Amino acid sequence: MRKSFIASVALLGALAAATPSTAQITADRILRASAEPQNWITYNGGYDSKRFSALKQITPANIRDLELKWVVQNQVFGAWESNPLVVDGIMYVTERPNDVMAIDARTGRLYWLYRYTPATDSHVCCGANNRGVAMLGDTLYMGTLDAHLVAIDAKTGRAIWNREVADHKSGYSITMAPLVIRDKIIVGTGGGEFGIRGFVAAYDAKTGKEAWRFNNIPGPGEPGHETWHGDDWKTGGASAWITGSYDPALNLLYWGIGNPGPDWNPDQRPGDNLYSDSVVALDPGTGKLKWHFQFTPNDPYDYDSVQIPVLADIDWQGKPTKAMLWANRNGYFYVLDRTNGKFLLGQPFAKVNWSKGLDPKGRPIMTPQPAGKPTWPGVQGATNWYPPSYSPSIGLFYFSVWENYASIFRREQSQYQAGRTFPGGGQTVFAPPSSPTIGVGRKGPIDNWTSEVGSGATVAVDPHTGKRVWTFPQYDVTDAGMLTTASDLLFTGGREGYFYALDAKTGKEVWRKNVGGSIVMAPVTYQVDGKQYVSVISGNSLMTFGLRE
Amino acid sequence: MGFSRVAGGTALCLMVLAAFGASAQTGNRQYSASNIQSGYRIYSMQCALCHGANGDGIAGVNLPRQQFRRASTDDDIRNTVTNGVAAAGMPPFRFQPAELDAVIAYIRSGFDLSGATFAVGDVARGRLVFEGKGGCTACHRVHGSGPRFAPDLSDIGALRKPSAIQAAILQPGTAMQPIDRPVHIVMRDGRTIDGRRLNEDTATVQLIDRQEQLISLEKSDIREYRIGTASEMPSYAGKLSTAEVADLLAYLISLRG
Repeated sequence: MRKSFIASVALLGALAAATPSTAQITADRILRASAEPQNWITYNGGYDSKRFSALKQITPANIRDLELKWVVQNQVFGAWESNPLVVDGIMYVTERPNDVMAIDARTGRLYWLYRYTPATDSHVCCGANNRGVAMLGDTLYMGTLDAHLVAIDAKTGRAIWNREVADHKSGYSITMAPLVIRDKIIVGTGGGEFGIRGFVAAYDAKTGKEAWRFNNIPGPGEPGHETWHGDDWKTGGASAWITGSYDPALNLLYWGIGNPGPDWNPDQRPGDNLYSDSVVALDPGTGKLKWHFQFTPNDPYDYDSVQIPVLADIDWQGKPTKAMLWANRNGYFYVLDRTNGKFLLGQPFAKVNWSKGLDPKGRPIMTPQPAGKPTWPGVQGATNWYPPSYSPSIGLFYFSVWENYASIFRREQSQYQAGRTFPGGGQTVFAPPSSPTIGVGRKGPIDNWTSEVGSGATVAVDPHTGKRVWTFPQYDVTDAGMLTTASDLLFTGGREGYFYALDAKTGKEVWRKNVGGSIVMAPVTYQVDGKQYVSVISGNSLMTFGLRE
Repeated sequence: MGFSRVAGGTALCLMVLAAFGASAQTGNRQYSASNIQSGYRIYSMQCALCHGANGDGIAGVNLPRQQFRRASTDDDIRNTVTNGVAAAGMPPFRFQPAELDAVIAYIRSGFDLSGATFAVGDVARGRLVFEGKGGCTACHRVHGSGPRFAPDLSDIGALRKPSAIQAAILQPGTAMQPIDRPVHIVMRDGRTIDGRRLNEDTATVQLIDRQEQLISLEKSDIREYRIGTASEMPSYAGKLSTAEVADLLAYLISLRG
């Protein structure tokens, strides 16, 4: 690829101008992330987590010219669920278990590779995943499988400090990308299947010293503790394994909280089990709770509420409203008032039979199914952690759905042992006799469970009604996240290995490429030297597309 | 630095305890090349059956990386070998004192058969040399402090063997990793770029320049490309005393990420 004289001058000029030697990413730049759409500087592309980019060079009209520019293959096996950051022409992406790569975003060539080996006795329920880094100044921050937080020099790829967040031997882990708010690094812990007591905590960006900790399960004397009995709160799960959102004007930090433990035996933990399966609004300076909303009280189905809180300012019944949009694993789509957590709307977006509806405050009216009978949605939920997107120019909310998918749940008494799974029973996916069932990850290139067991869809929901505006069906289920752009394109994928661009207004497919491996994260877009790129991870490959020159 | 094979094999979790840093011993510990060689022969015959040729055959123990379950100091190793670890099934070994010294030298060298004699002093004093008399922080970065043009040494003790680090102090040019070489580039448009190479392939080269910018260049844009083999680092032979070099080495070995 021979570049012209002028292009090379432009390249060097851009690099010189765009990468000052100190303070690459300031707290102010993160606040105004939408003002620099050439970069992707937080996990969700900005504090409001819309995953909407103002870039519009790639359009429905020219997308047929989208071509593969480069590929980075990872060095390890297993689902690759990382979300790259792109800052001034450099991409930072993690791979299993806790490696970080700095990549030239134009060519795909590496500047450095950082390798961290987590303790061999780390526990994770569902794969040695890492979903990415956060950045502040010229430092990257990564949570590790052994529940440490590591600060890494973004230019040299070498560790600056390493702090234990929680004891991995008790089942704590970190798989989510941290969130930076001002001078603090905020992380949550995984381990909901191991009888942990989950929390969200903030650390000083410079020193790694813990600034505050919000226990997702309130202790004795704290409000909400009465929703637990005896010592159940000590092992009640309520992890926080996906990155939250932040509203700077309200100064509220929002975080989705995971399922209570033991997972499937609510008899062993009577009560609402706050703040499991809830969204909590915290003061980011102190970690103090401002409000909460619980989606699934006393959850027997593993309906983690670890979805990303999407913050959108919408018109609600004639009033401009600071809303939070939330498609929950339990099958309901919610609209909340994010100033106070007030319930505005809840509508099922998939088949639901565990509840027959929501009361005026949004609390579900539970309809438990008889033993041995299927519950919709199944254990992986009608959606899950996969990042959604909201296009403010179109006004629609987009996410992945598992359709026609149910599980049969079984309750059993579980004895807590530190560091061991604490399931409280189990579940089987509802399927024809002898049929293979859908798992957490794809097992091979043959879809031998077929749509008889479950299938996927990319859907667009109107937040004013909670109703689907369009559905783009996929034969296999999909764990892909969403990316929308100002040119009204929606990029997503699925387990089948197709990378799609849809017309975000109509759901019509405008471009499709078979990239061969499951897409289990959202695509991101960025621009270098005036050229827009779209990156997606499929199987073991991180692929970057751009327009043919 | 960078994407080298050496970096690839490193386990940064080793930053935990272990190693020389925790030693309470005050005198320099000298590990001679001949002891390393005889230690290798003894290890191969007596230890490798369980610990493996690479020293990583027992879970939780990696001898060349100085990762032990119980030991920290040389005396700890001496006691473990002599007394065995009954609970873990390790028998006691009746070695002569010289044989024990040799095995310890082989372990402390990081299983480095090409290793020269080296001496390890005190970590805390070594840090003073690094930040003071040695002036090392004028060019090197450790755990987020210092310039970036020279290699960041935050995990040098996990990346390189002691004798190679000692060689880098005393004869820098002989111990430079090829990927780290200084490059001088003249672009087709006349711009010149001086940097330290981070990565290179057929079509591109990645480097960090003196302004600490990460730069990726396509070779088709480059008119002149020179790779220096001389290190810009001064030799500390004769500038630091033997004891100071040993202390400095102890500090560098203790940097594990």
